[in-house]
Amino acid sequence: MLQGLRLQRLPSVQPGIALAMRALAIAIVVLAASIALLVAGEDPLALGAQLVSATFSSTFGMEDFGLLVIPLILTGLSVAVGQQIGTWNIGAEGQFLVGAFAATAVGLFVPGPAWLILPLIIAAGALGGVVWILVPTLARAFVGVNELITTLLLNFVAALLVYYVSTGPWRDRVGMSNSSTPRITVEMPEFWGLIHWGLPIAILIALAAAAILAFSRWGYEVRLSGSNPSAAAYAGIAVGRHIITVMLLSGLIAGVAGAFELAGTVHRLQGGISNNFGYLGIMVAVLARNSCVGVIFTGILMAFILNSGIILQTQGITTSAVLAMTGAILFLTAIGDELAHYRILRTASTRA
Amino acid sequence: MDLLTGILATTFLAGGVLALAAMGEVLAERVGVVNLGAEGLMAMGAITGVATVAAVPSPALGFAAALVVGALFGMVFAFATVTVRANQVLCGLALTLIGTGLANTIGRSYSGTPSAAVFERVEVPLLSDIPILGPALFSQNVLLYLIYIVLPLGLHYLLFHTRHGLNMRAVGENPAAADAGGIPVGLIRFAYVTAGAALCGGAGAYLTLAFVPAWSDGMVAGRGWIAVSLVIFAGYRPVNAVLTALLFGLITSIGFVGQARNWPVAAPFLSMLPYLGTIALMIVPVLAWQKVRRLMAAPAALGEPFYRDVR
Repeated sequence: MLQGLRLQRLPSVQPGIALAMRALAIAIVVLAASIALLVAGEDPLALGAQLVSATFSSTFGMEDFGLLVIPLILTGLSVAVGQQIGTWNIGAEGQFLVGAFAATAVGLFVPGPAWLILPLIIAAGALGGVVWILVPTLARAFVGVNELITTLLLNFVAALLVYYVSTGPWRDRVGMSNSSTPRITVEMPEFWGLIHWGLPIAILIALAAAAILAFSRWGYEVRLSGSNPSAAAYAGIAVGRHIITVMLLSGLIAGVAGAFELAGTVHRLQGGISNNFGYLGIMVAVLARNSCVGVIFTGILMAFILNSGIILQTQGITTSAVLAMTGAILFLTAIGDELAHYRILRTASTRA
Repeated sequence: MDLLTGILATTFLAGGVLALAAMGEVLAERVGVVNLGAEGLMAMGAITGVATVAAVPSPALGFAAALVVGALFGMVFAFATVTVRANQVLCGLALTLIGTGLANTIGRSYSGTPSAAVFERVEVPLLSDIPILGPALFSQNVLLYLIYIVLPLGLHYLLFHTRHGLNMRAVGENPAAADAGGIPVGLIRFAYVTAGAALCGGAGAYLTLAFVPAWSDGMVAGRGWIAVSLVIFAGYRPVNAVLTALLFGLITSIGFVGQARNWPVAAPFLSMLPYLGTIALMIVPVLAWQKVRRLMAAPAALGEPFYRDVR
């Protein structure tokens, strides 16, 4: 070690440094991707300019971008809410799918006027999300089984379930596609182009969650239980009960995301409806440092990255490559998070 | 082959993927590091195997290449989690995204075509003639003997009957005490996280070179995650990991038989069996026998970074 310099690890991180580390992580990955593109004989600068203009200078681009923001804010919020009490909901993908599945059931088979059916669809989505996280929640709260793996494994079950109904019993027998259900009868109203009211509602849900966590007694107890469970239990807080409500809430939000995606954007249930939104939600939450307001911004950032990926597909770059890139950002973020804990000290002594 | 032999043979074949990855995970977790990147490592191993045999038609070489790729990714993961001490859960999830994404990107040009070379069955003379058991146990590819006999016994011996194994377990249980005792905590963690990742890469290659001999998008299908959960169920013991993997091979095998025999259950529901089975196996034993918890307890320092300079 250098003479007179010493690394010191601080127990907490300053928000400014943390933010800078995140920006650096994204910058490094973008730089690495640019170099990879250069090697492959593409012009990264031209591609970058094309990405920005394709997203922001055309109505189509803005619509696609806006539609991606909605599920990403909600799945990010789902993960962030779970993290408030220290639980990892890696199953937002599955809850999203089952939410969309339950919403489809209402949309296809319950007749009625739109003003009645639409809330029912969203309620069904919420219920689907709750049902899907119920077993991991109870297992975590009463048996102490790690929710990280149980929620995750249910993603695969949910994907198989959606695949089964959309290619099997609920398959569209009239239309040209036989890998999706028919179009549901009602849909979310739109307020700008193709962008539906799910966008402002998603933002409102995130703000409401932030407000409840910040100002209610429940929110206070949840945050305390999350930061120091034993101290919370000692203070008489029912930590186990809070774990249950927080996890169910987390599943509910992911389920609503699925219902919005179905009723507002896709309108029919199909295998690929989740588009990795559940997994990307983890990214959104991590980048937001689990802040419920923060997920609005990181959701928008993630939507831009994802939308870029879709535009880049025309240049031969796949969604898998984008997935790898988001993974790399997450990886560097985790490293940066730890490095942000350190500061360099000058010491008088020469003892290194 | 009759039904029972078929089920048994598939059980051993399907269980092998999980057993290999689970043993890799046992290594990492015994020294105190949770590697949730197993799924991504397996994906990389699987495509490495396919790509290698496409260039040189030698399954052994393909398997070796996958071990190397797994080790390389493992070193990156170990650098992040052991050297820098970054959050293990985040790095593991990231590794899964990176591995799966990269493998699918590289795999596009290999998609759908069968692997150019696979591990062939080797018939053990005499033993393979035993009815029912013979063809299932003694007419399999050579990797299976490695997975079911050499590795579990070797790792068991290493962990529980050598001084070095004692050091490994000490690092996972109480790194501060191990450090005070002069055991190089960082080095041991780095080495076994890397070795474990290599085995996960190998498990991926086993998938494409022996079990499902072709690459397709998303073919690892959660086996990495199942392997991670098996380790918990196996109480962090290599031999138990193999036994639980066999149990899962059996569940998978029953699903296959059901599809082949047109049971009145839709194929997707049979495919759900391994995932639902894993969840059930994580919950039921703890519910049934409270004592199991202590007996099967995880290494005490699992998931916790070790800071020597912070006291």
